[in-house]
Amino acid sequence: MNEIDNIRRQRLLDEITKTPYFELLGVQIEAFEDAPILSAMGADHLIGNINLPALHGGVLGSLLECAASMMLLDKNPQGVTPRLVNIDVDYLRTGRPVKTYASASLVRQGRRVASVKAQLWQEARDRPIAIARVQFLLDRTGRTDANHG
Amino acid sequence: MSMFLKSLKELPPFGVAVGMRLDETDSGPGIVVLLDGDPNIGSQDFGGSFHNGVILATIDNAAGWCIRDHADYREGIAMATLDLRVDFLSYAALSETLRIRACCEGIDRDLAFVRASAEIVSTGQLVALGQATFMMGTSPGPHASVAQKPA
Repeated sequence: MNEIDNIRRQRLLDEITKTPYFELLGVQIEAFEDAPILSAMGADHLIGNINLPALHGGVLGSLLECAASMMLLDKNPQGVTPRLVNIDVDYLRTGRPVKTYASASLVRQGRRVASVKAQLWQEARDRPIAIARVQFLLDRTGRTDANHG
Repeated sequence: MSMFLKSLKELPPFGVAVGMRLDETDSGPGIVVLLDGDPNIGSQDFGGSFHNGVILATIDNAAGWCIRDHADYREGIAMATLDLRVDFLSYAALSETLRIRACCEGIDRDLAFVRASAEIVSTGQLVALGQATFMMGTSPGPHASVAQKPA
């Protein structure tokens, strides 16, 4: 891992540490591509259906939101945490209680609003278990970013 | 309604982990899940507020429960969330308790449609609005008890 990725990692680790709910979910930083790849283990307390068994739909939604907000933080290191406006989750496959990966990509970041796509997968990245469209309100002063202005 | 409450009260592990509880005193419409503020489900926004993710999770849970509470629900039918949208209107401090009400607005053998809201109990302030669609008659899974399998 290079120096830049270490800096990116530390920034996200700080955010996880100060967000107890992310620690409850067991969010880990897996790798960095254009956006961070996060993961969570399929821990027993995250299960929503013990018969299948399957992860709780709210856990999947939370991981999607986490990936989206962390991606924005990674791209806007100076900014305050953006405000989540809404999230729209499509559940595509059963979320088995195994290691689950999450990532997000920026669709458009304007002056006040960022539109983000997020996805979750387990054994294969091309077989997402859930996807989401997530909208954020950025801080009122507006936020400029050289890559995504 | 009370005849359904026993099965409703079986919280999934994640519901236990975040402290969801069914409000058995509520008279409807739909069902109400209460969620007490706790540091474990918080974010740092405004010095400690309910994380949006746990509000989404509770809406998802309440949505599933309200379908099982609906008069047209056939006991034992398994279901799965197809989609869930949540709008976040305001933050709620962790010193508060949230009331999440979910109402099943339509149900047939294939689909169920739910509307839900989350508000602060002490003030009535609206915190989130949700809408969800569920697939009915999905596989109950290999570990389902006989009582939970479709008739």
